[in-house]
Amino acid sequence: MKENRLNLTESLEKAEALLSPWIGEFTRPDDHRLDAIVAAADLVPAVTALVEAHWGYLAAITGIDRPAERDEDGVPQGEDEIEAIYTFCWGPAIASLRVRVPYSNLMIPTVCDLIPSASFYERELMEMYGVVVENTPNPERLMLPDIWPEGVYPLRKSFKGLHEPNPRGS
Amino acid sequence: MKKITDEKFIVPIGPQHPALKEPGHFEFTVDGEIVTSATARLGYAHRGIEKAVEGHNWAQNLYILERICGICSHTHATNYCLGVEKLAGVQVPPRANAIRIILSEMERIHSHMLWWGVAAHEGGFDTLFMYTWRDRETVLNLLEELSGNRVHYSANVLGGVKFDITPEQKEKVYTGIDFLEERTRRYLKIMTEDETFLQRTRGIGVMTREQAKRLGAVGPTARASGVFRDVRIDSPYIGYENYLPQIITDMAGDLEARFTVRVRELFESFRIIREVLDHMPESELKVKMPRKIPAGNVITRVEAPRGECFYYIESNGSDKPERIKVRTPTLPNWGSVLATSAGHKLADMPMILVGIDPCFSCNDRAVVLNKEDEENTWQWKDLRQYGINYYK
Repeated sequence: MKENRLNLTESLEKAEALLSPWIGEFTRPDDHRLDAIVAAADLVPAVTALVEAHWGYLAAITGIDRPAERDEDGVPQGEDEIEAIYTFCWGPAIASLRVRVPYSNLMIPTVCDLIPSASFYERELMEMYGVVVENTPNPERLMLPDIWPEGVYPLRKSFKGLHEPNPRGS
Repeated sequence: MKKITDEKFIVPIGPQHPALKEPGHFEFTVDGEIVTSATARLGYAHRGIEKAVEGHNWAQNLYILERICGICSHTHATNYCLGVEKLAGVQVPPRANAIRIILSEMERIHSHMLWWGVAAHEGGFDTLFMYTWRDRETVLNLLEELSGNRVHYSANVLGGVKFDITPEQKEKVYTGIDFLEERTRRYLKIMTEDETFLQRTRGIGVMTREQAKRLGAVGPTARASGVFRDVRIDSPYIGYENYLPQIITDMAGDLEARFTVRVRELFESFRIIREVLDHMPESELKVKMPRKIPAGNVITRVEAPRGECFYYIESNGSDKPERIKVRTPTLPNWGSVLATSAGHKLADMPMILVGIDPCFSCNDRAVVLNKEDEENTWQWKDLRQYGINYYK
């Protein structure tokens, strides 16, 4: 049984049509990619549109720390933010939804109701960046050890290592 | 007597994992013998590699990233090289791509053979485990012949590959592949005909096509549920467009299907290796790469033996990456297998867990250095000097 496949252009156009109610502007960083910024509040409806149309599968949630530029005195010129990129793949086509949330309100809604297997990605995002994924079914740590201190998020740019003695004594 | 109907009975498995000699912790909620839900706790092999790469330059990172996994080191190196070469706008010479394909397929052979052995061992079939591991030595010896190493071939450099394949080595590869093909036919027969083994695999751990698609299963796990998903075909890289594999699927979605899909797709690997060796293009092996990579971001995907391996690479224009995200195939496959584990017998769990060919180093990623013995601790400087002396 051969899967009903669209070609690359059709797939990307379909994704654009599905996502357009929530997204102002699309970019094409590469000929097989579609990239868009989506507000945290619109994430779930946008993902729903893709999932209901069976547009590919969630390949990854990539977190990136986006600290604001600092001036000479170290005063931030803008707001520190965390970006989470929800990447969907369908054949050769890749669609990325970028959600940016400020440090002052690190809240992103869960997509586990739609995609149960996203749980791992959301747990990783929470422990590595300190983002709160609201209503995620399992908020426990996935990768970091039990002894890891609370409130220390290793993939933030400000993290330079733990300076406490290693509990193993080495 | 106290009523216990509301209480859950949880069976913890791991971190000393019964299915593989690798660490992972699973909690199965059971009702009698039947599993009702499952959760996982990973990270016992976490080494912080995604953080480490942000502090090293583009050339150094190749060596860090290919150490994510001891089985699919070539996958990670290739994926990283593809991304960085794309950002830099560099075209890799055709002979380098041909060598990358050969290594990729040999890696798939050794990885699948390793897995048959482990899975057979879980199913209580240790004879098969020993035979497959003995035969796997053939491909490991070939890899050592080509690269000097059994598992960390370190074939890639940014812009190409390090070594060529000589006519004598080519002959050895042909001979080795012929032997392995014959053995693989035998294993396919065993896995589809041996009654006792089939009792452990047939109809067990079924994941339907719809589930596999929605949960984002990848690689042989997805293909065993009838999902046409293979990056080599969907989005060809390193010249796979000239050597397209035939996609191997099975509609059954059970453990037996996961076995047979992996066995059958090796015949495609043998064919591809022969075809590439028959038509090796003549060219340079590598091109020069810039030290600083232009700003931008790129998503690359490679079909690892376990499925799609995903890299997101972002450059800020300097000699170090802004962010490298690695999503290995084991992670989405855990998600899909755990989500479909409810309703199965607890005794089948080790086989179901091992059925996706899990790789813990891959999904964990991170280096514990025992500093007690300072004399054996090499600093970067020492390691670099060692490398320079070695290649002089």
